Amino acid sequence: MTDEAGADTKLVKMIVFAVGEQEYCIPILSVREIRGFEKTTALPFAPHYVCGAINLRGIILTVIDLAVYLNVEPQPDNPRRVVIIVESRNGTVCGLLVDRVIDMADVNLADIQAVAEEDSSLSGLVMIADRMIGVLRLEVVVGQLVGGMTS
Amino acid sequence: MSGDMDDILLVFFQECEEQLQELERGLSALSDGESGKETINAVFRAVHSVKGGAASFGLENLVRFAHVFESSLDGLRSGRVAPTPEIVKTFLKAMDVLSDLVAEAQDGATVDADRIEESRTELQTIIGEGSGNAGQKEEETVPADFAPVPVDFEPVMADFDFGDFGFEEDAQADAASLVVTFSPHTAMYDRGDDARNLLIGLSDVAVAHGGASLVTCETAGLPALAGLETEKSYLSWRVVLPAAVPEESVHTVFDWVSDVCDVTITRDGGSSPGGEEELPEAQATPTEEPEETPAPVVTNAAPVQAPVAASPAHAPISVAEKIMAELPPAPTPAATAPIAVGNAAATRRPVEQATIRVDLHRVDDLMDLVGELVIAQAALESIGQREDGGQQEMIKRIASMKTLTRDIQDAVMAVRAQPVRSVFQRMQRVVREACSMTNKDVVLTLEGEDTEVDRTLVEKLSDPLTHMLRNAVDHGIESAEDRIAAGKPPAGQILLSAGHRSGRILITIKDDGGGINRERVLATAVKRGIIAPDAVLTDDEINNLIFAPGFSTASTVSNLSGRGVGMDVVKQAILGLGGRVTISSVEGQGTTFCLSLPLTLAVLDGMLIVAAGSTMVVPVSSVVETMMVNHQDIYMLPDGANVVSIRGACMPLIPLASELGLGGYNAGGPSEEDVILVVENESGARAALIVEDIRDQAQVVIKSIEKNYRQMSGVSAATILGDGSVSLILDVPALVANALGRIDTRPSDVRTGLAA
Repeated sequence: MTDEAGADTKLVKMIVFAVGEQEYCIPILSVREIRGFEKTTALPFAPHYVCGAINLRGIILTVIDLAVYLNVEPQPDNPRRVVIIVESRNGTVCGLLVDRVIDMADVNLADIQAVAEEDSSLSGLVMIADRMIGVLRLEVVVGQLVGGMTS
Repeated sequence: MSGDMDDILLVFFQECEEQLQELERGLSALSDGESGKETINAVFRAVHSVKGGAASFGLENLVRFAHVFESSLDGLRSGRVAPTPEIVKTFLKAMDVLSDLVAEAQDGATVDADRIEESRTELQTIIGEGSGNAGQKEEETVPADFAPVPVDFEPVMADFDFGDFGFEEDAQADAASLVVTFSPHTAMYDRGDDARNLLIGLSDVAVAHGGASLVTCETAGLPALAGLETEKSYLSWRVVLPAAVPEESVHTVFDWVSDVCDVTITRDGGSSPGGEEELPEAQATPTEEPEETPAPVVTNAAPVQAPVAASPAHAPISVAEKIMAELPPAPTPAATAPIAVGNAAATRRPVEQATIRVDLHRVDDLMDLVGELVIAQAALESIGQREDGGQQEMIKRIASMKTLTRDIQDAVMAVRAQPVRSVFQRMQRVVREACSMTNKDVVLTLEGEDTEVDRTLVEKLSDPLTHMLRNAVDHGIESAEDRIAAGKPPAGQILLSAGHRSGRILITIKDDGGGINRERVLATAVKRGIIAPDAVLTDDEINNLIFAPGFSTASTVSNLSGRGVGMDVVKQAILGLGGRVTISSVEGQGTTFCLSLPLTLAVLDGMLIVAAGSTMVVPVSSVVETMMVNHQDIYMLPDGANVVSIRGACMPLIPLASELGLGGYNAGGPSEEDVILVVENESGARAALIVEDIRDQAQVVIKSIEKNYRQMSGVSAATILGDGSVSLILDVPALVANALGRIDTRPSDVRTGLAA
């Protein structure tokens, strides 16, 4: 998925969404559901990109404002903001606040062009229908939430 | 073997737990001088059941040891051995070994062979002594048909002669009497079964059909004594049953052993008794083929069979077997293991058992309540459909539903509740082991074992209690010489008690040792850099120093304690359970630790407050009082922090919103609308929280947020409010500790002094 796949031509279904003007995608199999943005409960000592906690049918999970996280300008007054609930490979569940979900796409792993270091939150870029789309590395984004005490 | 076998094995281990508990209970009763027949029988049964079950699974080590244990217990039962304290102690030790062996069979942690051997020798000494001292008496207790030292094989045959079953010689051959020949394989004895059981079964069948059975033993396969392997099965039997006996009932007798025993059933037409392997010619029902499964399923099994030509020390074993079979409540080994699915009362450390045993009436109560809930829901529905709205009615219904919900919650908690007995009884062993390591003599008294606590708590109590009791033995109780010098009895006393106190459970560990030597504690703390050399501490604070990480006064590190980890771990564990620990100690008279714990970990009574615009929950148990802000009482300290004086007591003022890093705190101090919440941590230290509003008081369900998020200081968990939004539950002890760390205030002693 988000691994820098070698020469294999493996197709992965990705969900494409917009944060600000920029489009990103994540593997669709890591998505649990997509729901409207609702009021979150602020968490103390949270990183600035964490909106807060929401209740998903009895499970409490945190919502990350991707715009803040990725340091892009969010679309102002967007009524279409949604939270994508994702589950990372180690079982952590969290929500990603995005401006809108666009569509799905089959991405050939071989087409992903690496852009950054190993531990970056972006594993690469891919061209879909002439649009440049960033491939998010979920493990990095979600992994920063857990582990370690807040100081 | 497949998953089925694993399931049965699991049940066996669960049952072992129960038997071991039973054993422990019985032995404690014995050591308290209560040596009634009931008690001794219970103890004996417990060991026997473990042995029988273990044999069915081929758990060799376990069987061997249980066997010796059982034999020596038999000495007790037959009255040859008196339950003196020394002997009970040996039994207790043997019980520890036995439970370790069970654990070994369960997860493979090997038990020290020397320990087993030592205990085994001790056990054998008991009966050895018994028969030595009371050789005459033994003659009386041992059945006449049993000779302890077989010179040749004859006496053993006599053992299987079954004169007591009322066989009649003249029951010979009616027209079509049923002839059953069977030869058990060695594997059958390995399983813990016995040809004797089969013979009893057959004779029961015979009696049930109004006749009697005739038993002859075929000894043709028996080698000369020199070549005899004591653990092998050589004998086969021929039983003639009355004609009225249907073959089915005979098959039933052999149901359990069909795979390890060759059975032939013949309708004897009155002719000469057929040879052993003679196939039934004129058989009425040819479908009932002799079950001749070529047996050995269990090959590596243990020698359960009574070692026939063994030493005198082993001799009473056969007696044990015999008596057991005559004892109605004693479960036969085959029946022990596979029955009773779902028994899992006790829990042992490493394996968390996923089942609990619940009183039926509790489940019934719950069922009743759920029934009422259904009715209440129907009532609400009908009100909702009414034309006029029925506002008033609706409110009334909802109020009653609220009571109902609470009742259901209580009922569910009662289902989860378990007596602390399982943990407490384990502690007997901890103390015993600690005693033998430190060469002290300590008696642990248990009180209130029936106190019920939430299951999760029961499990988590085990480790802290173990630590504390070890400490009590190692550090608390003085050596016997010191005790005598201090005018105390040489044996130390530790009291472990549990009880309910205003919605919490209180566990007390009280020893009558030397108490905490405060000077030494203080000196050690200074030496280890835990406190500053010039610090002045109250007695209470000094006592609490033993909970400091890295603290240990033990001059030498023993393998029991003294490494300086332990008490701080204990404290963390108790705090983690939402409890608190207090110490009181009188020098020369002993130390008392009090653990106060919440009854459940799932639900708490919370006060809903508002801070930084969002609703949060403060556990009601930690709120002392609430009050309005009075600016005259607030003083600012040079570093910008505030203290508030409440009826003369100064305590740090915590503006909750900014403490949690949510929203700014207006520099002008709290506004007039704000509310002060005086909160208290587990050791009684207080702080004042400034919150914007108090909303409500409600029961909240505790939800962990750490699964999907990191730990936050000042927040212990989260909950979901009625409107579906998430609300944080504040960690009051942490908040108070933070505040106290910044502002050094005397603890509440001073306050009570002034407020009084």
